[in-house]
Amino acid sequence: MAVAVTMYQTRLAAQQENFDRRSTVVESANKEGPAPSMTNNLPTVSIDHITKSFGDFTAVRDLSLAVYPGRVFGLLGPNGAGKTTTIRMIVNITAPDSGRIEVFGRQINPELQDRIGYLPEERGLYRKMKVGDQLKFFAALKNVDGKEADQRVDRWLARLKLTEWKNRKSSELSKGMQQKVQFTTAIIHEPDLLILDEPFSGLDPVNVEVLKEIILEQRAAGKTIILSTHQMELAEKICDDICLINRSRKVLEGSIREVKRAFSRNAVALRLEGGDHVLADRSLVNKIERHSDGVEVLLAEGARAHDLLKQLIAAGAKIERFEMIEPSLNNIFIEKVSEAE
Amino acid sequence: MRKLFAVVKREYIQRVRSRMFILVTVLGPVVISFFGIAPALIFSIKAGGPVRIAVVDQTGKLYQSLYESVRDNAGTAESTQDPMNANKLNNNASERFQQMGDQQEGRFELEEVPPDGRSLNEIKQELNTRVLAKELDGYLVLPANLLQDGKPEYFGRNTGDVFTRKFLQEALSRAVREQRLAEANIDARIVQQLSAPVQLDAMRVSATGGGVRDSGEGFALVFGAGFIMYLTILMYGQMVLGAVIEEKETRIAEVLFSSVKPFTLMMGKLIGVSLVALSQLAIWGLGFAAFAVFGVGLLAARGVPLHIPNVPAVNFVYFGLFFLLGYFIYSTIYALIGSMVTTAQEGGQLSMPVVLLPLIGFYLFLPVSRSPDSSLAFWVSMFPFFSPMTMLTRIVTQTPPLWQIVLSLLLGFGTVALLTWVAARIYRVGMLMAGKKATIPEVMRWVRQP
Repeated sequence: MAVAVTMYQTRLAAQQENFDRRSTVVESANKEGPAPSMTNNLPTVSIDHITKSFGDFTAVRDLSLAVYPGRVFGLLGPNGAGKTTTIRMIVNITAPDSGRIEVFGRQINPELQDRIGYLPEERGLYRKMKVGDQLKFFAALKNVDGKEADQRVDRWLARLKLTEWKNRKSSELSKGMQQKVQFTTAIIHEPDLLILDEPFSGLDPVNVEVLKEIILEQRAAGKTIILSTHQMELAEKICDDICLINRSRKVLEGSIREVKRAFSRNAVALRLEGGDHVLADRSLVNKIERHSDGVEVLLAEGARAHDLLKQLIAAGAKIERFEMIEPSLNNIFIEKVSEAE
Repeated sequence: MRKLFAVVKREYIQRVRSRMFILVTVLGPVVISFFGIAPALIFSIKAGGPVRIAVVDQTGKLYQSLYESVRDNAGTAESTQDPMNANKLNNNASERFQQMGDQQEGRFELEEVPPDGRSLNEIKQELNTRVLAKELDGYLVLPANLLQDGKPEYFGRNTGDVFTRKFLQEALSRAVREQRLAEANIDARIVQQLSAPVQLDAMRVSATGGGVRDSGEGFALVFGAGFIMYLTILMYGQMVLGAVIEEKETRIAEVLFSSVKPFTLMMGKLIGVSLVALSQLAIWGLGFAAFAVFGVGLLAARGVPLHIPNVPAVNFVYFGLFFLLGYFIYSTIYALIGSMVTTAQEGGQLSMPVVLLPLIGFYLFLPVSRSPDSSLAFWVSMFPFFSPMTMLTRIVTQTPPLWQIVLSLLLGFGTVALLTWVAARIYRVGMLMAGKKATIPEVMRWVRQP
């Protein structure tokens, strides 16, 4: 982690003049946690310097992070980075070799498992079991049974438009439908902490929307959601906070906003007529890239987008588009991961 | 506890509801009785007509008694059965086999060939022609000195027909013996009376004094219990194996482990499948009992004398307990195997040696019943993998002190719990190493891993 922070600080130092708020990113890498202003300050999950090895291979190395209620936490990283191992330790399937994990303020234990819903990446259903029975079974394993379980099964099946499949065997379901049933098994007991590993894979766009809606609903209800995915566009839309893990180490952490600002290249996308001499001004503009759909301008050191806009207007340019470009999460991901190689 | 119940319930309901279960429950007895009856039916098939045999009687006086001997069809009256025969199953089988042969014995036709002054060679030549022309199936040549030390000869088209050969040999023996007795002026009936075998009654000496007659029902029950145990292990062990592998193959294991402890899951599976097994056995048992009671009532009404087995009631309790122990011991081994492998095929291969293990316990029956208080008997009846069979044997032969029985049960069920625990550990870690078959050192490490 220390390495990650140092890399950060070097990077930030170079951009120090451009941004005032970037310091929060550094803070978030420390204890405080990302922008906890909206909710209370007690983290749902707090991981403190955990390490886990399998034989010679260290899957997770000295990882610390905090996940807060009412927020969607994106656990990102390339394949084999240690995401799944980290999640398995949070849900008490394996124990860390060293370090401490607290969930709901207590050391993780089997009783707390009932308050966690987990949709692993490796998931399946009992092929010959009816969908309804199956959901009731998973509910019972979380100590929800009887009438309560029946009601919830019906409610969630209706919500996911699976009611007519209730008495069908899961082997008769399409892959997408199975996926939705699997999602339901993770949420049927209405957990306070919902952990979803690649929940969108194999879903059509309509169902992706349905799932997204449910996740955001849960967040609004004050639940905590940990989302692990490779689909960066979705992570960008849903997650409040992210943590990027690469090669068993944390390399980046913070709220989406902060992370993006920290990675902003101070660029502006423009579509305009006229004002060419302003763009040629070396004190304002460092570099121009022309695209079919306008130009992308990298501002000079110390220059501000605000000044550029003023100058262009003063020069009488007709501006159709003027937008600060933020790097996409995808770009940040690729940049950070390839940096390490 | 609620979670354990949920697992048990799922395993039970899913399996009992399945078409396979209903089919096996209904068809099981049909199939078993078919295989019980089919050999008898097949053996009794005798293609073609009666066996026609010509007899060349050079003694000149044996044909008549041979003819009577064949006609009376006294069969195997002489072949005594040894009730203490070690391998009762095989014994039963050979007995049945013999009876099959006996049924055919009425189907012989004898004809005497008078010498009419011809030489033996001429007669044989003529008979050979007839045999080849299929007018005859074979012929017997009884030499003139047969009553002293001569050897009869059988010539036939089909000398591989052991029944015919054996039958002729016995019939001839009887005829020759009777003739010898007659020539020595001894009445055959007196000989029969004098050589009647004795029956030995075994009385068991018990602490309460007085011998209790033991007519061997205890043995029969131990055999029965052992046999049913073995069949049950064979039938349901695979089901346990399948149940344990199911979550790996369907990749549900990880979801389950985020809700329930591996030990609870493993225990729930064992109990669930066991209840399935017990249900099926109970259905068959009740069916059989109903059938038996009905049959017994019918026989009693017809005045057939019936023998009610003489077995102390407490022994039935022991049978129940040790049956369950035997079942659980081996089911847990199957569970253990299931926890190590990733597919049912792999599990099937690995479970081969397991099938042989209970057989050893079965064979230990003999030495243990001969000396039930030997140190061998003691140790094998404490060893969990053999104790179900051997302890039962000791109980019916020479009941050991209660503490030994209790100790044996405790050791057995302790082993079940331990094996389940080990299986649960291997299962959990093995699942996390998905898709990879475990090596033994790996498995050892998994067991120790937190």
